[in-house]
Amino acid sequence: MKFALAVFSPGHAPSSRRALLFAQAALASGHEIVRLFFYQDGVHSASANVVAPQDELDVPAQWRAFVTEHQLDAVVCIAAALRRGVLNAEEAQRYQRPAVNLPAPWELSGLGQLHEAAQTADRLVCFGGD
Amino acid sequence: MSTLHVISHSPFGDNRLSSCLRLLGSNDGLLLCGDAVYALQPGSEPLKALEHANLGARLFALEEDLQARGISSDAARAIDYPAFVQLSLDHDKVNSWL
Repeated sequence: MKFALAVFSPGHAPSSRRALLFAQAALASGHEIVRLFFYQDGVHSASANVVAPQDELDVPAQWRAFVTEHQLDAVVCIAAALRRGVLNAEEAQRYQRPAVNLPAPWELSGLGQLHEAAQTADRLVCFGGD
Repeated sequence: MSTLHVISHSPFGDNRLSSCLRLLGSNDGLLLCGDAVYALQPGSEPLKALEHANLGARLFALEEDLQARGISSDAARAIDYPAFVQLSLDHDKVNSWL
């Protein structure tokens, strides 16, 4: 079966880790993840500048490793990202900002990608809050 | 048509649980995760509300969240992540109370 996952919370929220464990379990069970969509504060998980305390799980790093390993389509909402200072090279140049913190494997795109994923997948599962 | 409702907020901080119970369909399931598992605290008002809703085998809780909070309950079936994935497929759609 095909899953689309939307993550609304930052990497330090328990729900982001829950989304990651759900995604890992879905792939391990032989299912497909057609798209991961990071929305609202979820865009912080894609930032390369997040530094987790040494005694805590680095969930953003785990997301990055997971997306890279399985070559998943991981879309970061561009409007949510820009307002939170999560920029790729193109956007940093466009808005003349001094830093880039959204390298591969993430892709900046619009909310339409979430809509399309919801149509393509058999199940859309959203994770957010606590 | 069945919906799996997923709640992760504590029942003591808002009224998501009571709102959810009010509109839960007869084929719908309810999965408690994160601080929402506090609803299964013995003797609590949220547990009474859950028992009153008479969900039977349609009430679930994430096992790791129960363990992390030292809660055990006969009211809900404890499930792991592979079972969470399967549960989402057993229902027609998943509604997360964000």
